[in-house]
Amino acid sequence: MEKSTDTYLYMRISEQDKAALEQLYDRYEKILFSFLYKMLEDRELAEEALQEVFIKIWRGKGIYDESKGKFTSWLFRMAQNTAIDLIRKRKKPSVPIEEAMQMASHDLPVDEQVEWKEKKGQIETAVQRLSSEQQKMIDLFYFKGHTHETIADMCDIPLGTVKSRIRLALKKLKTSLHGMQGRGAYDD
Amino acid sequence: MTNMDCDQLIDYLNGTLSKNDTDQFEQHLTSCTECQEIVEATGQLPYLADPMEPPAGMKSRILSNVFEGTPEKNDSPVALKPEMAAIPIQKPKQKFHIGKPLIAAVLLASLLGNAYAFMQLSDQNQEPETAIQSIELEPSAAFSGTATAAMIEEQGALNLVVKADQLAELDASQVYQVWLIKDDKPIPAGAFSPNPNGEGASYYQLEESSAEWDTIAITLEPEAGNELPKGEVVLSSEI
Repeated sequence: MEKSTDTYLYMRISEQDKAALEQLYDRYEKILFSFLYKMLEDRELAEEALQEVFIKIWRGKGIYDESKGKFTSWLFRMAQNTAIDLIRKRKKPSVPIEEAMQMASHDLPVDEQVEWKEKKGQIETAVQRLSSEQQKMIDLFYFKGHTHETIADMCDIPLGTVKSRIRLALKKLKTSLHGMQGRGAYDD
Repeated sequence: MTNMDCDQLIDYLNGTLSKNDTDQFEQHLTSCTECQEIVEATGQLPYLADPMEPPAGMKSRILSNVFEGTPEKNDSPVALKPEMAAIPIQKPKQKFHIGKPLIAAVLLASLLGNAYAFMQLSDQNQEPETAIQSIELEPSAAFSGTATAAMIEEQGALNLVVKADQLAELDASQVYQVWLIKDDKPIPAGAFSPNPNGEGASYYQLEESSAEWDTIAITLEPEAGNELPKGEVVLSSEI
């Protein structure tokens, strides 16, 4: 019932129920903070972005309904877009990809992280099935927040090709995940 | 689906579409399974992050900044789950949410949609586990409002959505409270205040509901958060 409790919390939040926002915060603090840190590579910036995400939710700047897909996809996309805005504003030089990939992990209690670890394992496997060029596309596009133009420049490929390569990479990722997770990925 | 729309997927994921284009693309998503599945798959990428311990005190810093400027009021007209009853209920002041009926309506449509899809599936194998009941509530004498309730039972949980209109304005502390009643014993099941158009809505979920409710009623309560009705019944129906 994860989805419906998220929707229920969201509904209460839209009615300015502070307790509901706090519950949602507790539920997603760690994954969002870790994800934003992966994108921004700076704890203070990650905190700033996380705050922005919850301000947007609280003030109703982003409206969720179930026609937009899973609540987590919506929430993560909002977090990702917020981080991209910060990246583009700050123009902070980013850590090279390889280095960022190897950053130390800070383990949290196992029981809190079982679902995360399981998903991480699946998505890592799916990413490893992509060609190294496709992995690079996803990293530059999704985690580093580069525009197509920048990616086209960096990789010296035409703009139109960048888009179709990213789409192809995401499509392959989807197919791999679908294979691993079965129908359960979309019908829960 | 049109290829033009599919082309916007990457811009959509990157958040570079205008508001209009975003809305349009989200419309496209409802009918294009492939784009939808790519969006969902992309939505799992954050799990690639290594778990990081958040900085000390981050939660209180963020929440106080988020709530800054929010008038002290709240929460209670929103349905509290029974197990959440321990959450302190602050004194409600002004309530004014244009979005509420809309969101309840969207949610109702969504629940009905889920329930419908679920029944379609269930039809193919076992007995349906989802039941939907729509109820028109009867106004008491001298009350001008109307209300409709939908009770949706799904996997042992009961979702109750109530939508009312033509409601009279309330004093700041008053609230319309929904009750589910069995053998003259009521439990609170959601509450709402009317918006300036006289519309109100509530959503309430009871997990593991096995009770056979016999009546649904809405009272005009002098304040929010009452465990038992104190005000007059304004709308009701047998179930």
